[in-house]
Amino acid sequence: MTAIAEILKPGLMTTIQDLGRPGLRHQGVPLSGAADPVSFALANAAIGNKATAAGLECTLKGPSLRFKASGSFALGGADMKAHLNGNALQLYTPYDAQADDELVLGAAQTGARGYIVFQGGLQGDDFLGSASTYLPAKLGGINGRMLAAGDTLISAGMRPAARRDIPTTLCPVIAHDFFLRALPGPESAQLGATELARFFSCGWTAGRRADRMGLQLEGAQLKVLDAPPMASSPVFPGTVQCPAAGEPFLLLYDAQTVGGYPRIAQVIAADLPLTGQIRPGDRIWFQEVSADAACEIAAQKASFYGDLLPFGFFR
Amino acid sequence: MTVFSFSIEPYGENGWIATLSKSDMVERALTVNAAADALRDRPGVTDAVAGVESIVLRFRPSEVTAEAAKTMLNDALQTAKAHSARSEAVIEIPVCYGGEYGPDFEMLCEKLGISGEELISFHSAKTYRVLTVGFAPGFAYLGPLPDELQTQRLATPRAHVPAGSVGVAGAMTGVYALASPGGWPLIGRTPKCLFDAGTDEPFLFSSGATVRFTPIDEPTYTALKAERS
Repeated sequence: MTAIAEILKPGLMTTIQDLGRPGLRHQGVPLSGAADPVSFALANAAIGNKATAAGLECTLKGPSLRFKASGSFALGGADMKAHLNGNALQLYTPYDAQADDELVLGAAQTGARGYIVFQGGLQGDDFLGSASTYLPAKLGGINGRMLAAGDTLISAGMRPAARRDIPTTLCPVIAHDFFLRALPGPESAQLGATELARFFSCGWTAGRRADRMGLQLEGAQLKVLDAPPMASSPVFPGTVQCPAAGEPFLLLYDAQTVGGYPRIAQVIAADLPLTGQIRPGDRIWFQEVSADAACEIAAQKASFYGDLLPFGFFR
Repeated sequence: MTVFSFSIEPYGENGWIATLSKSDMVERALTVNAAADALRDRPGVTDAVAGVESIVLRFRPSEVTAEAAKTMLNDALQTAKAHSARSEAVIEIPVCYGGEYGPDFEMLCEKLGISGEELISFHSAKTYRVLTVGFAPGFAYLGPLPDELQTQRLATPRAHVPAGSVGVAGAMTGVYALASPGGWPLIGRTPKCLFDAGTDEPFLFSSGATVRFTPIDEPTYTALKAERS
């Protein structure tokens, strides 16, 4: 139980996350984990952590913390203008801190989520093999909640591996425009051909109703054809659902496992990690692709990152 | 033999979905959940998840072709219907109805035009099957609920529903294994532990299980709850 650091200011919403709980949706357990797992995994690779190590996910505005012992860390995801004792820091770069050093993050200008990972990983409440915080049921992390001032971060004491150099060309570039490739969903027929074409052609704006479970899409009201109410059916991160009122929403990593609204589209696996960086007001376009193209893009992205990301990352 | 039909449609580049029609609600739910259980550990499968009448099989396209996955799903549904009745052991769930444990109990009695005793006896007189588990960790959908108790979800979901809460909605009754947000009208709560983190099967309920609710009074609820800790 080595204390790494104490939280001085928690930021807007900072939680402990790892890569979540895959394969448990049949028990009602959502995936959870880092909302932008690519940036998170690259930061872990930079500090020499295993892909399963937990770190901090910071939302829109990051925390301030004081180290309690010497330790190493790296940053990733949205740039929150981090400073260590007043010195500006780069993303995906390992840094060494001493006891009493202060790490201060600010607000992100682009992107929604920044990551701080510590060599050895963070300890959090284990729930079904993951320390990821799932706020709706208060699971994982520190008592299932977001961090508060005074919290102490504890090292998981995982054995470090070789630190990986992350080439600039592989660092995710985050802007205010998001192009998400998607396939029509199982109930896309409930939109009709014209409305489905409108979904794929008009630009959407991310609404204020945005959390780790989902994102409201604003900008058009889609006409949904009358249909009998749906029985609860499986949904996944990346599913776009559209209630009768016509305002669609995009499900993210904390999404519940079943839903009852028409599923009009499914974001391809290779583009899903981008969704974690969408902030309210950002622009989103959905581009229709074929299943074959989606698999090809996933294979290309996987080979692009090589062994920097764990196997099967873009499943 | 029960007759049902289904078609298999794509769900993203790495998934197939089948929705059953015909046959009754319990038959549909048990069939899709039995098929999901049979598919879950197959090579290349990442998720096999069922709702109450549909099943989604997700796979790694790098390991299984889409066509092979579709065949896998079709075969699992064809064979699942033969042995959908799996568990005959009855899980007894003691429930303290009404009061602070069932905050919507009185509202429901009024809405349904029945007395409190009637509500309890309708709910506890029969056995239910766990139709599926989903929505929230360990949340169990059970059915079929007697017609006399069928009602709609709350207009505004609760932000916090305590673990063990028992609700009703539509033709189903549901049990919250863990505290979570939820929109089902709540009629009671069980002191029984529905989640044990230390085991391979941490949730008490799994699809197909047979369940009976037993009414208990408040002192019994308190005593059983105390026994757990």
